[in-house]
Amino acid sequence: MRSFSDFGFWAQKNRWIWAALGVVLLWLTLSIITNRFSLSSLSGIVLSASFLTIIGIGQMFVVTTGRGNIDLSISSVITLNAYVALLTIEGQDANLIIGIPVAILLGLAIGAVNALLVVGLRVPAIIATLAIGYVLATATLLANREMSTFAVSPTLKYLASAKLGGLPIMALIALGAVLISIYILRFSAYGRALSAVGQNRSAARLAGIKTGKVIAIAFIISSVLASITGVLLGAYIGGAFLEMGQPYLLQSIAAVVLGGTLIFGGSATALGTLFASILLILIVTTMQIMGLPPGAQDMVQGVVIILVLALAGREAVMRRTPSGADNGTQGPSETDAASAAGTMPSGAALENR
Amino acid sequence: MLQSQTAPMVHPTTAGDAHMAVVKLDKIVKGFGPTLANANIDLLAMPGDVIGLVGGNGAGKSTLMKILCGVLSPTLGEISFGGETVKFSDYGALEAQNRGIRMVHQELSLCTNLSVAENFFIEASGETRPAPGWRSSHRMRARAALDAVFPGSGIDVDAKVGHLTIGERQMVEIARAATTPNVKLVVLDEPTSSLDQERSQQLRSYIRDTSKTGTAFIFISHKLQEVIDIASMVLVLRNGKMAWQGDAVEASIEKLVQLMGGDVGSIKHHDKVAATEAKDAIVRLTGDVTSFIGREIEIGRGEIVGLAGLEGSGQKELLHAIFQRNGKSSDVVRNEPVSFIAGDRQKEGVFPMWSVLANMSIGRIAQRSGLTAVSDKAERQAALEPAGHLQLDEARFDSNILELSGGNQQKALVARALVADTPIILLDDPTRGVDIATKQDFYRLCDDIAQAGRTLIWQTTEDAELLATDRVLVFADGKIVEELTGSEITEEAIVAASFAHQSGEKDVAEDKGSTFAKFARYLVDAAPFIGLAAVLITMISVNPIVASTFGLDLLLLPAVSLVLIAMAQMFVVGGSEIDLGVGAFAGLVSVLSATLLYDQPWLGGLAIVAAIAGYSCLGGLIQARKIPAIVVTLGASFIWIGIGYSLQPTPGGASPQWLSAMVNWSLFGLPTSIILIMIVTAITILIDRMPLGVVLRGFGNNAAAMTRSGWSSVRYGVIRYFIAALYAATAGCSLTAINTASDINSGNSFTLLSVAAVVMGGCALIGGIISPIGVAAGAVTLSLIGALLGMLNVSSDYNAATQGLVLIALLVLRSAVADRRNEP
Repeated sequence: MRSFSDFGFWAQKNRWIWAALGVVLLWLTLSIITNRFSLSSLSGIVLSASFLTIIGIGQMFVVTTGRGNIDLSISSVITLNAYVALLTIEGQDANLIIGIPVAILLGLAIGAVNALLVVGLRVPAIIATLAIGYVLATATLLANREMSTFAVSPTLKYLASAKLGGLPIMALIALGAVLISIYILRFSAYGRALSAVGQNRSAARLAGIKTGKVIAIAFIISSVLASITGVLLGAYIGGAFLEMGQPYLLQSIAAVVLGGTLIFGGSATALGTLFASILLILIVTTMQIMGLPPGAQDMVQGVVIILVLALAGREAVMRRTPSGADNGTQGPSETDAASAAGTMPSGAALENR
Repeated sequence: MLQSQTAPMVHPTTAGDAHMAVVKLDKIVKGFGPTLANANIDLLAMPGDVIGLVGGNGAGKSTLMKILCGVLSPTLGEISFGGETVKFSDYGALEAQNRGIRMVHQELSLCTNLSVAENFFIEASGETRPAPGWRSSHRMRARAALDAVFPGSGIDVDAKVGHLTIGERQMVEIARAATTPNVKLVVLDEPTSSLDQERSQQLRSYIRDTSKTGTAFIFISHKLQEVIDIASMVLVLRNGKMAWQGDAVEASIEKLVQLMGGDVGSIKHHDKVAATEAKDAIVRLTGDVTSFIGREIEIGRGEIVGLAGLEGSGQKELLHAIFQRNGKSSDVVRNEPVSFIAGDRQKEGVFPMWSVLANMSIGRIAQRSGLTAVSDKAERQAALEPAGHLQLDEARFDSNILELSGGNQQKALVARALVADTPIILLDDPTRGVDIATKQDFYRLCDDIAQAGRTLIWQTTEDAELLATDRVLVFADGKIVEELTGSEITEEAIVAASFAHQSGEKDVAEDKGSTFAKFARYLVDAAPFIGLAAVLITMISVNPIVASTFGLDLLLLPAVSLVLIAMAQMFVVGGSEIDLGVGAFAGLVSVLSATLLYDQPWLGGLAIVAAIAGYSCLGGLIQARKIPAIVVTLGASFIWIGIGYSLQPTPGGASPQWLSAMVNWSLFGLPTSIILIMIVTAITILIDRMPLGVVLRGFGNNAAAMTRSGWSSVRYGVIRYFIAALYAATAGCSLTAINTASDINSGNSFTLLSVAAVVMGGCALIGGIISPIGVAAGAVTLSLIGALLGMLNVSSDYNAATQGLVLIALLVLRSAVADRRNEP
């Protein structure tokens, strides 16, 4: 009994555990029921999940800045970069030296424009990134006109699809991204500042944090990661098509929320995003194996994200009652932060208590 | 919905008073973590009583009133009405209102986007039917109420509350609560804070007259003279306990002050010889703020400088200007780093998810560059000494900050500044809600900090506190009007100075800037119409056929769908949400109408009804679970598209005859599309003018106030999305009718366009504004831009970018001319 409540307490601080448990349970169930799941099929799932993980981490940084911020431009960033990479690299390893910097610069530029709109011009993040996404869609159409070859550079192809001792190289890249994010979120000054901004922006500003800079960096991280993933994804599928980034928009948000990052900001978990990405890909793969049509797959994904949010939201409502009720004057963002007070972020103050 | 029940006398045998009492609170205890906000408090309100409730900040007045009004549940205690005990588990805000309790809140609970009369409707809707002229009864009620409480106030009941001054809003709020039908007890929390002498008199004489007819009042005020003047009985709270209760005639200001614990003499005069000689000025004030006293003000190391004056005279602004160092021109010069200690801890101080230690160390961490490592061990080491100094126990470092009492949270914030080790510390009303003992510690501490060579600049609303400073700058109307030093600092001197230079006209600052800014705002408001005209003129000049009935119809028919979807989006945005699934939903209905509805009308109709029901539930879900609408509607868009794909994997289907006929008729030679757009706009205006529309707008403006007035956010969330669903579903049908086929992806592009149309039409994304004509014009303009690009031989590849850029340009323009007063 004691250990059970201890686990509950621990799990409240380490919300990634639910996604991890979900992966294990679903995997075990599927392995037992069907015989089509094996370790080798797992590596396929891990490969797909790697792309989602990297994008999800970018989205996670944006979501953590609070006030409902979400980067809706990432699907367009992915697609555009896949095209631009094909155009600049032209299937030649020698051109990587141009292609990769171009992708990173493009990511930086898009992130900077998003940040300028959100921080500098105070356009709501969802609208700014949605509109930028449309602008990028036109850029993609223009890039599409210029396409002459869909050849992929061998090195990129290798990075995106080869395995190293059974483990896809992409998985290592994703793991690297997760580890770096864990360091940033838990042990760096930026991570603390990010959590502070997400919890209570006014207090963060008055504590001396340059809130605009913190938020801008989050948007830039998101765009750069989406850019790089776009290049690798193009290499993986061996080309590019106009809708290739589309599924990643909802999935990245789902990965973030399912992983235990708070949708109202202030607390993020990179490990959770990793496991939730695997879980989501596992669900999609299961549906494909079961022969569900693509329409049904869309429906299931939509239902999953709404359900997860509804459940997580209920948790927040329950926690709000004791601490938040006496603060009628608080703005919505502050109340939301206060409502989550029962849990410590998996990041910053982990070893406290 | 607010019919009052007369308290049934279930216990006629109960002794004397009890069954007559309006309400009786018995031994109320309320704890927040380790602190008791209320400890064993009794309160009895008989008909006709006027109870004066006084106490310092944090004495427990608001907690007690929240319990009385059903907003909070106490830890222990009982409540009874006319002798009938009610369980707190069954007692909520709505129940309190049904029993005739009304509260006028300090933070006003009016919807600023509604008229005065509409605000009266919100508070007591009675049996309002959506018939023409429904407003008139509320208008009359509002007029009568204002005239009864504040004769000659001259407030226009049709004026938007947002256009009234703060004082007028307070009058509306008071009149609304006091004249509610069947009200038995009115709680007034600092009702006169924004009223001038005459209005305050009027209010008191109204209370005096009305109490004679049996209505009870609870009057909370810091203005003790008013309390003694009006109250029949006074209850003094101190640190959550009852300090005194008695007849008002036995009370005097001195006595009450003493009972409240505010021993005026207890703040030791800070008699250290100020270190001003050491002319090492680290803050220098010049320019406008010093224009009245006509000389620069320099603040040196080791000084404690107080900023005083009536609330809102510019002290806070100066404090923030010093913090940001970005006063217009260089009015404020600061040469050293600075820390800020906020008194409004919940809003500006604490990070609620963090431990005490994390809260203390963030100030130090914020000074470092981003990738520097943070080690809790090092932070703990750094925090130990300052925390020890503050008597903040190390054992509490790992507790969540919210588990601490207000006083200890305050200590943690001071510790944050000390750990950050900045030479200048700014304090914004730092002792708000802190008990008197902690306050005394705090003043001593400030002294120590200053002795150590740090500079404290201290803004406070408690004049007595300023005795702890070396120098006081008194503000009036945004300027420093007096500088007091050493023994000149007395409460009398401060009060005298802040009143002496008051020009009286406090609301002048409401004037919204230059004529240029006004013109720019006007231009932005007219944007949809100017845009529409510009696009049409360009098109006609390129191709004159556009001007014909046929040409217009051809061009505008596709706009009908966008107008409908934009109206749907408008209602959602009116509730300060954004719907990212509205286009997909229209696409789904289009598919349903071209497949099921065509093949099996009954099944098709049922499917569309089910879709609308599902969509409406989203609105309820968002409200019930308090989850972000964007993500929910984005998730829902996948569901809509998924269903659509499953029904119809490739574009096709056919439009039912009757549906096509809907867009193929003509009247008086006018283009069908124009008539349709006008009908849609007219219906929307009608919905908005109905009581329902007013409620929906109220929710968009001030959801908390709406809930407090007894409206269910979940129910109106469902209704809001139901209305949106009807528009979007009609849009879906129109897509089928116009294209005579369906494609699940046909609606997708409408989502962004609908947001753009709503923004263009003049609705703020923050909610509360419904503007059907503007939105219709915006939607038509946006849908014509595509056609215009086509006529100009621009590739359709550029459509998406044009739409995106138009939206960004509109939002940037709006934010450029927007009024920034209320932003953090």
